[in-house]
Amino acid sequence: MEYQEAKDKIVEELTKKLKTKSKFYFNDLAKIIETKPRDAKKIVNQMVTEGILEYWSSGSTSMYGLPGTGKQASAEGEE
Amino acid sequence: MAFISSGYNPEKPMENRITDIGPRKYDEFYPPVIAKNKGKWLYHEYLQPGVLVHVAESGDELYTVRCGGARLMTTTHIREICEIADKHCGGYFRFTTRNNIEFLLDSKAKVKPLLDDLAGRKFKGGSFKFPVGGTGAGVSNIVHTQGWIHCHTPATDASGPVKAVMDELFADFQQHRMPAHVRVSLACCLNMCGAVHCSDIAILGYHRKPPMLDHEYLDKMCEIPLAIAACPTAAIKPAKVEVKGEKLNSVAVNNERCMYCGNCYTMCPSMPLADTEGDGIVIMAGGKVSNRISAPKFSKVVVAFIPNEAPRWPQTAKVIKGMIEAYAKDAQKYERLGDWAERIGWERFFEKCELDFTHHLIDDFRDPAYYTWRQTTQFKF
Amino acid sequence: MAKHKTPLLDQLESGPWPSFVSDLKQQAEKRAKNVEGIEFQIPVDVVDDLLGLLELSFKQGRTHWKHGGIVGVFGYGGGVIGRYCDQPQMFPGVAHFHTMRVAQPGGKFYTSEYLRQLCDIWDLRGSGITNMHGSTGDIIFLGTTTPQLEEIFFELTHNMNQDLGGSGSNLRTPADCIGQARCEYACYDTQDLCYDLTNEYQDELHRPAFPYKFKFKFDGCPNCCVASIARADMSFIGTWKDDIKIDQKAVQAYIGGELVPNGGAHSGRDWGKFDIQKEVIGLCPTGCMVMDGKTLKINNRECTRCMHCINVMPRALRIGNERGLSILAGAKAPILDGAQMGTLIVPFIEAEAPYTKIKETVIEPIWDWWMEEGKNRERLGELMKRQGLQKVIEVLGVDPDPRMVQEPRSNPYIFWKEDEVPGGFERDINEFRKHHLR
Repeated sequence: MEYQEAKDKIVEELTKKLKTKSKFYFNDLAKIIETKPRDAKKIVNQMVTEGILEYWSSGSTSMYGLPGTGKQASAEGEE
Repeated sequence: MAFISSGYNPEKPMENRITDIGPRKYDEFYPPVIAKNKGKWLYHEYLQPGVLVHVAESGDELYTVRCGGARLMTTTHIREICEIADKHCGGYFRFTTRNNIEFLLDSKAKVKPLLDDLAGRKFKGGSFKFPVGGTGAGVSNIVHTQGWIHCHTPATDASGPVKAVMDELFADFQQHRMPAHVRVSLACCLNMCGAVHCSDIAILGYHRKPPMLDHEYLDKMCEIPLAIAACPTAAIKPAKVEVKGEKLNSVAVNNERCMYCGNCYTMCPSMPLADTEGDGIVIMAGGKVSNRISAPKFSKVVVAFIPNEAPRWPQTAKVIKGMIEAYAKDAQKYERLGDWAERIGWERFFEKCELDFTHHLIDDFRDPAYYTWRQTTQFKF
Repeated sequence: MAKHKTPLLDQLESGPWPSFVSDLKQQAEKRAKNVEGIEFQIPVDVVDDLLGLLELSFKQGRTHWKHGGIVGVFGYGGGVIGRYCDQPQMFPGVAHFHTMRVAQPGGKFYTSEYLRQLCDIWDLRGSGITNMHGSTGDIIFLGTTTPQLEEIFFELTHNMNQDLGGSGSNLRTPADCIGQARCEYACYDTQDLCYDLTNEYQDELHRPAFPYKFKFKFDGCPNCCVASIARADMSFIGTWKDDIKIDQKAVQAYIGGELVPNGGAHSGRDWGKFDIQKEVIGLCPTGCMVMDGKTLKINNRECTRCMHCINVMPRALRIGNERGLSILAGAKAPILDGAQMGTLIVPFIEAEAPYTKIKETVIEPIWDWWMEEGKNRERLGELMKRQGLQKVIEVLGVDPDPRMVQEPRSNPYIFWKEDEVPGGFERDINEFRKHHLR
């Protein structure tokens, strides 16, 4: 899948789900773009570098979300 | 205070950014005697507890002085270590996996001056800054986690109980009178970010109450699907609750399924589980990681619960001291605590360690539990 | 004068073991005095407030920390753990108190010059409190504010050629034993393999795309000083294939008492005269040793390399020359289904730089399988349990080997694959009925 198309798909899907949750596992993203993990990783990394996705970490696990979304963002006082 | 920039430009985070360079290379920090003799060591000996000599094929000798360290350490303390290393060993030292500090000397003549120097260094409160020991058939430093100093799900403190227990075991940190080495570890909750499940003696923080639910704020502060998904035993489900006449979205916890891991609290700050009476310590014993003589094995729960008794955890320290004394008295040379327990039988272990055997100690968690019950007529009266 | 009264913590200043409370107090005092005139970038009383907060925890028996997941340095998914205090008004100095993991050098060797540089950065931009080291092996910086994270990362990378370690669903900072740098038992260069793989897999370390955490640990011999077998998803344990080297003269020196057994590790007690029969030969788990007159004989083919005889008589017995390592996979702590030791998946592999075979035939196929099949938050060991050791063997493309199991199965419930059974599963019921009436 082309980067642009994959990016749009991920943003669209994550925005749609924002009402219930704002953080997603890497595998969830790979599923959205129906891409094998190794290739999905390149796309996801690129989106992070462009500031379209941001990481969320529990310390033991990592998740991804759209920047500034989610109920904890304000609670943590990090904009 | 005025902000001092490192040179980083927040407007352009990728500008001049250096990434993926990894750690510094190990050999940048080798003292010359190690750089020269790496891979060509012949043998080692303990000259006294805490002092080792390694002899190389070349005839070169490396003297190591091992000191106990609290793994929670300030820059003031680290700078003092640096100062000692500069004075005695050309600035070279290392840390062990068990948080000990090792000064590396290239001649025997340097050992005594270093030992004398270390012995005189004490904190204001009176404790040693650099007690020498932690080698051979003795009790080494306790590896541990963060506890109340920095963790959000601990069921006990880490540095506090470690200090209290090491004070109790201090003589054996500086002696070689055990049948084999004794490794004590502490993890402040069952997630065990410090893996303690294969230690001769493990101190494990444990919660005994399911999380509280801050219904009024839960839906405002947390994303309910994430809290539900965080639970490893699927004990959390969505629920509607009424608070002050208002219908709110929240969650319900099936208390019988909750294993008190705190994963939900990580995702949802409205589900705290820390509790003064509920939290405390589990003691486990008999594990090891070495393949020496017998295979590595897991530690077993031998005391189901001891309350948190800050600041010095006297019961925890007493139980551990008691086990170590019973082991020292009864085990054979080279026998690890777990090997000893298996040889004499766990029924005898509880007797010799003067520990109560309660129903909590019988495994009832999932399939493997069955295989821990006695399935032979061989047992001791 | 201390900012907060700490009567409970004060009781941890007495006793011989180094007191972290005394250490924190000296740090608080040093910051307050600030003789060097450092322009502290986070509150000067951060250590005082940490002591005050800890005192409160000691009083109540409860933690006062909350987790934060967003903070980090740009482009990295790990290396920073967000922490916020739940009493920020009482203890403003630790309101924001994040952790940074700094990748430690192999063998945890240091020079004073390097550590002083680290201390300078951390005194200026953080609390000055560390862990030397964290459980995984990193140098831990405990406590700084969000704006300082990027500044610290910039100074580490630009001025110190030093990167952060891993956290989250990443490759965690690999850790090694002291290995050949100082140990005669080391069967391969643990530090070199650790360093090589750490650098090779920087992307895996910093940018999370695994189902969960993944740990590499490197033990030079089966004594397992870094406990890889119990806690690494993939553990590399040194071993050898040929004969233990024997110095018969030294054996006699142990028997005669000129050399002390186990390097003097048992010096604190009178265990009696060294008895090679009882202490070495009798404890050998395979019974492969015997004294033949004055000669110690080892049936090396039967030896399982437990290290006991070598540990007891290091000057008489040495590891063999045909060295390499065994790879075990799947170890983890008990959460959730119970603790798991590593399972032997590669009995022997050479460990020579550039380690291509280890990377291409073991690590990468295992990762590909786990990334595709692993559920969210499923450790490798849990996937192995769910899909079976047979699956691992298939992934690695190796032949099954009895060395990989403790014992064969004791149930006959083999799930045969259709192509393993002659004729397959599709059968003609009408043909069958010709011979078997309904």
